[in-house]
Amino acid sequence: MPDTHEAPPTEREQHVLTAPVSTTSIATRSRTLSDSVPTTFGERVRDSIRYTRGRGALEIGIIFLAVLIGFIIAGLVAPNDFPFLAPSNLSGVISQSIPVLALLGIAAGILMIAGEFDLSLGANLGFSAIVFIRVSEEIGWGWGVAAALGSGIGIALVNGLIVVVTKIPSFIATLGMGFFWVGASFFVNGTAPAILSGAKDDVLTTLFVGDFGVFRMQLVWLLIMGVVGWLFLHRHKLGNHIFAVGGNAQAAKAISINPGRVKLLAFGIFGGLVAFAAILIAVRTNSMQPGSTVDYTLMAIAAAVVGGTSLLGGRGSIIGMIIGAALIRIIENGLILAKAPGFYIQLFVGLIIVVAAIFNKLMEGKAS
Amino acid sequence: MTETTAITEELLRVEGVTKRYGANTVLDDVSFTIGRNEVVGLLGDNGAGKSTLVKIMSGVVPMTQGAYFWEGTRYDGIDRQKTEELGVETIFQDSALVPQMSITRNIFMGREITNPLGLMKMREMDRITTEILDTVVTIEGIKSAKQLVGSLSGGQAQAVAIARAVHFKRSLLILDEPTSALAVRATEALLAYLRQLKGEGVSSVLVTHNLHHAYEVCDRHIVMNHGRKILDVRREETSVEELTAAVVEGAVGVERFRAGTF
Ligand SMILES: Nc1ncnc2c1ncn2[C@@H]1O[C@H](COP(=O)(O)OP(=O)(O)OP(=O)(O)O)[C@@H](O)[C@H]1O
Ligand SMILES: [Mg+2]
Repeated sequence: MPDTHEAPPTEREQHVLTAPVSTTSIATRSRTLSDSVPTTFGERVRDSIRYTRGRGALEIGIIFLAVLIGFIIAGLVAPNDFPFLAPSNLSGVISQSIPVLALLGIAAGILMIAGEFDLSLGANLGFSAIVFIRVSEEIGWGWGVAAALGSGIGIALVNGLIVVVTKIPSFIATLGMGFFWVGASFFVNGTAPAILSGAKDDVLTTLFVGDFGVFRMQLVWLLIMGVVGWLFLHRHKLGNHIFAVGGNAQAAKAISINPGRVKLLAFGIFGGLVAFAAILIAVRTNSMQPGSTVDYTLMAIAAAVVGGTSLLGGRGSIIGMIIGAALIRIIENGLILAKAPGFYIQLFVGLIIVVAAIFNKLMEGKAS
Repeated sequence: MTETTAITEELLRVEGVTKRYGANTVLDDVSFTIGRNEVVGLLGDNGAGKSTLVKIMSGVVPMTQGAYFWEGTRYDGIDRQKTEELGVETIFQDSALVPQMSITRNIFMGREITNPLGLMKMREMDRITTEILDTVVTIEGIKSAKQLVGSLSGGQAQAVAIARAVHFKRSLLILDEPTSALAVRATEALLAYLRQLKGEGVSSVLVTHNLHHAYEVCDRHIVMNHGRKILDVRREETSVEELTAAVVEGAVGVERFRAGTF
């Protein structure tokens, strides 16, 4: 010990630090962490499964696979009664309805990880689609795409600013703004749907809804966005900040992360993804009726929740959000193929959401 | 009040720090200096204002009045970005961890090791985490750097907060009750580490309710009472008994102790 001020211990302090204060006590640990660092490939796989357990995606992925296998068997056994494997059905579900909901699920999910909601998602989607169609028809679809992205991101950033500056709950702020943007859609467009016709050329069609037989362009976009989204959320430092702020904003702030700025970033990404989904929908349907997209709000949040995203922030994964959207859409598809009446679909999708949320809550306790 | 004899070299100095929350004055005209290579104990009863002072020194809470000097230079409007630049690292009383994130991600939160694109080097960060947890902070039962902080015990979580501060410390390490959840061996290791840091030129401020620990490792003691500084003494000028009197009974306690009636 280099210090010279070691006074003889008084009676009272003697029992406190019996061992001399010295760095040798540091080395007395029985088992070190580095002993349990995985070295072989097999160990590494086991390690990563262990630490993905309870974080959402793994469990829901297994359920999704089970449903999928069941549907495939049913499709093979009774191809006429349950034409799940018919190319037209597969291409419609896998390449069209899943990707759009998955992109919206990712949008809602990233924002939820940051600890915020945007209940104006459906309104933003409809408004941005109308902006896309109107601008495309006026001056060409290149401008239309840019304008839609501007409108989607702009609307989301306004929501973000309201939430960050006034500190009112995003639930209330975006609920209000949702009504506002539905109203605004009618205001700019009137009650008749906006129609995409003259501006739709081959390039636009191929780019956003191109049909390649087994798959369509929407699926390609989902794969691209999924990989980019994964790299951003799970591997980029800004993604790490989103988790930190949603998990414990006070802690993030104490380590010099600015929670307001991170939340605005999450709102901006949300807006961009919503605008992109709006373009995919508009190009496929060639039209947009004001007020017709409101249902997407809760469907997107449901996809995120089913995929293991926490309603309290700080927890979720891109792969989980995609699987959540896929599970909802595939069960919906199964019910339609089984010719279940329309209300069955609502009923079952509603149940899945609740069951998945309960399931996720249970798994959360198992996370290590 | 005892005047402190000349401190070796000034690192951090605060002057006339006052902090009010509404009408409630939590800190009242507090001034002191932390010297280079000094271990300073910051003591006082519950609610004395220690943690508030720690937050002000760390720049996470602004002061109502007062001045902040670093190596003699005055800094106005000090915030966490600035203190980080100066080299202040803090273990907060509530640990400031994110339970849903892994140990590694908590340690590198906001200061990730990345490639030029901003993508994190997870392997490298895991390796460093394992290394710190194995060497400096000796705590039993942590299995992997990938474990979620929410799945750790109170002491293990505190060890993670310590590991983070230890890894990023540069000039001044502030520890707000760092050993409150630690067992004997880990506590001793940490206290020993503070003495070792002093040898490496890193100062520290230790907040603790264990006056024996404080007396053992600190070169100087500052005692707070109801938001005021009532004692600022070098180790050789005081005793555990005097510190106890000051913490328990405030300025009156010090007077009584010196008069021999405590
Ligand atoms: N954000 C705040 N708003 C209002 N009052 C506060 C706030 N933070 C602290 N206080 C008050 O300031 C006083 C000092 O609190 P502080 O946390 O600094 O005490 P402490 O000395 O660290 O106590 P302990 O030993 O219990 O940790 C307390 O009376 C507390 O109620
Ligand atoms: Mg405190």
